[in-house]
Amino acid sequence: MTDTDDKALLKQLRVEQPRFQGIVSGHRACLGCGEALATRLVVEACGPDIMIANATGCLEIFTTPWPESAWRVPWLHSLFENTGAIAAGMEAALKAQGKSTKVLAFAGDGGTFDIGFQALSGMLERGHDVLYVCFDNEAYMNTGIQRSGSTPHAAMTTTSPPGKVRMGKRHLKKDIISIVAAHHIPYAATASVAYPSDIRQKVRRAMAIEGPTFLVIHSPCPLGWGHDGSLSIEVARLAVTSGLMPLIELERGELTGAMPIRTPHPVSDYLKLQKRFAHLFADDPKAREELVHLQALADYNIEKFALHSLGDDPQDTDGADTVTRGGMRYA
Amino acid sequence: MSSPLFTRGGFALPGTTSQFKTGTWRVQQPIHRHRNAPCHNVCPAGEDPQAYIAEFDAGHIRAAWETLVSINPLPAITGRVCPHPCESGCNRGDYDAPVAIHSIERFLGDQAIAEGWPYPVGKPAADAQAVAVVGAGPAGLSCAYHLLRQGHQVTLYTALGEAGGTLRVIPGYRLPDSVIDAEVERLLQTGIDFRPGQRLGRDIHLDELRGEYAAVFLAVGTQDPRDWSVGGVTPRDLHVGLNVLKEWMAVGSVPQAESVAVVGGGNTAVDLSRILKRAGIPDVHIITHNGLPGPDSLPGDVMRAVPREIEQAVEEGVQIHAHRGIRRLLLRGEQVVGVEMVHMKKLPDASGQLKRTAFEGTETLLHVDQVIPAIGQTIDPAGLEAILNGSAYLKVDEWRRVEGHAGLFAGGDGCSRGGGTVTSAVGDGREAAEAIAATLRGEGLPGKTVSEAIAFDALNPHYFEPLPRNEQHILPVEERIAEVETEQTLDPAQAKAEARRCLSCGNCMSCDNCWTLCPDSAVLRLQDKGATEAPYRFDYDYCKGCGLCAYECPCGFITMKEEL
Repeated sequence: MTDTDDKALLKQLRVEQPRFQGIVSGHRACLGCGEALATRLVVEACGPDIMIANATGCLEIFTTPWPESAWRVPWLHSLFENTGAIAAGMEAALKAQGKSTKVLAFAGDGGTFDIGFQALSGMLERGHDVLYVCFDNEAYMNTGIQRSGSTPHAAMTTTSPPGKVRMGKRHLKKDIISIVAAHHIPYAATASVAYPSDIRQKVRRAMAIEGPTFLVIHSPCPLGWGHDGSLSIEVARLAVTSGLMPLIELERGELTGAMPIRTPHPVSDYLKLQKRFAHLFADDPKAREELVHLQALADYNIEKFALHSLGDDPQDTDGADTVTRGGMRYA
Repeated sequence: MSSPLFTRGGFALPGTTSQFKTGTWRVQQPIHRHRNAPCHNVCPAGEDPQAYIAEFDAGHIRAAWETLVSINPLPAITGRVCPHPCESGCNRGDYDAPVAIHSIERFLGDQAIAEGWPYPVGKPAADAQAVAVVGAGPAGLSCAYHLLRQGHQVTLYTALGEAGGTLRVIPGYRLPDSVIDAEVERLLQTGIDFRPGQRLGRDIHLDELRGEYAAVFLAVGTQDPRDWSVGGVTPRDLHVGLNVLKEWMAVGSVPQAESVAVVGGGNTAVDLSRILKRAGIPDVHIITHNGLPGPDSLPGDVMRAVPREIEQAVEEGVQIHAHRGIRRLLLRGEQVVGVEMVHMKKLPDASGQLKRTAFEGTETLLHVDQVIPAIGQTIDPAGLEAILNGSAYLKVDEWRRVEGHAGLFAGGDGCSRGGGTVTSAVGDGREAAEAIAATLRGEGLPGKTVSEAIAFDALNPHYFEPLPRNEQHILPVEERIAEVETEQTLDPAQAKAEARRCLSCGNCMSCDNCWTLCPDSAVLRLQDKGATEAPYRFDYDYCKGCGLCAYECPCGFITMKEEL
């Protein structure tokens, strides 16, 4: 095959991919960006009949470097704090026009847990038909890795450095899913980029519901978490299999589903891959205490959501990512 | 795209990020790299089980069989008798249990027999160079077939009345004659000029063959029993293992006795003991210097018979005296009444070589009416005297060329590189055929470099599920009789399920993982999506080289290559 033929084939292939490409290549996400992957998976599962309100954050920045855009669906940049309100307005306007296009709100954890929280709460309370997706990379990555309400306990960020007094972030990760579910909305769920099929199922489930739905997707940030880009999926997977990131579904505030963990991994397997937790492996009693603390938090999740798998389940953490020849898993 | 227009108000022409080639960021690039599966590297016949199992798993049974017989023309046979080192090498063994490769091989061979699929080989040209193959056992058959595939005319000689050679002395409960016939007859129909009843040194002569043919392949096997005695004493009515087996196969009779000791630890010894058991001899013993196969056994100190055959022999009541040597025959007159055994073990000596050591004070007596040595055979020198020069085997190099005799090749039992199994004989035949074809074309022989097999660590086991191994049904002991196969072929559903267990080491299984997980949509899927060849292309215009696809590839088929 000549070089020109090859170029022609690639050009043709790019437009002929057998999936909906709502976000195209050339975006400026870092190598191995979990958020870029999660976004692509969500948009793919939604299909073209959507409109997106996107809060300030990495996603907004890396997809729309002026004067370009990676989006091939209607997309609006909201402010950091008002994504919920903008999405609600878009939904109301479409409804007034008699259109059924689904409105999505995309935001990071900063825009969801902290800055955009009241707009989100209002949107949920008023019952707008919006799917709100939070890409949770556990800090303000876009502005230089500052701690957010979502940053896990003991993690290092530029505003929660480990030192003589504290081992990274002093506070706990905010339990956003419970807060959101307390709005009595029809559907709220957590997901992880390590489980694409699970993301798709949850997105489709939410898309089929008329009313406010909420999805938080755990998305590793190689730069902010301090791991190699090639390990993004591995890190995300260990967050789930250690119990630190339970994948659960809540309907009207009640727990209706949880992905069981077949073989729980010690949290240290997850932590030691990331520089933001490197201080926990120092020879220091405080470090040892925090390690045990994080393990206790994982154990608490496993107990609370009864995450222990009872025998090999095709939907548990080991079964859910099984592949077969021909790619039927993703069909 | 024209240059963006900047006006007051920040107006810009819409453009997409696709005009920005993030591939320029890259310092390493993912590439598809096929790597050898361990089953492929350890197969004495040179099969690539990963390749044909992939075809089978994709639903192409006939293509799977054709891939298989492009290397080994006797899969129904080797699937039954091979000790399957492929399964010891299988990476799945590190995960749950190895893929039952031999059962899949056997299933495909049987399927071809049932469907009558012809071998994928054309007729040679009328003016193609002719090659003679002497001996129609597994090595000879394999060489003849592969020479045909290389476009040569082939004449296949055997001293016996039919093709099969050593295969014909394997008992029917392991390898029924009907299977040998079905496979060998179809093989002979491919255009091989088959001439039975031609004994070397009597009907045909090596000098004449070498004059008449462009090359000669010797696959004469081993026919002469090794001399056996204990301290210079041999019983008067000595029966030799292979001859007893041959007699059983021919007329169905065995020496009459109440109790028999078979000496040796190879397949002949085990086959013989099981035949004797089936013929109604109540007390059958095997005495062997080597140990029973087990996890702790040293490679040089373990019975050479196939482990599952040993296991079945024990189930059938054969008593195995492992790590025992015969010190003395107990004779009444010249009639054997028993043997004196002694504990023995192979221990490394000062130079690290394993050496047999007998332990004084551990002697025991075993009362038996017959002692049958089954300690192996050597080459029958008739017609080969000039080549052998007094040696007990034919000396060959790595391409199976007989040293010092241009145009003469040899393989299988009876030559210096013989592996002692049907499968290695098949491999010898194939490699010799390649060497013969290259020599006749006037080409040099390629170097024998085998790339290293992919290790289990290079796979990503997260993407697989434990699955129970599909075992062949084994008849209960009371139903095992001579004519019925002890192990049954897998049924189609089991065979398919077993093929699904393959981890596809080092080769793409089109699972869509890379396509799904690339954050930059830089893995493109081809529309005509094959199931066994990678239907993906890397889009290096956008690939940032993060390495996610390589790390997450379940099969180790993607490797990152430095690009600076």
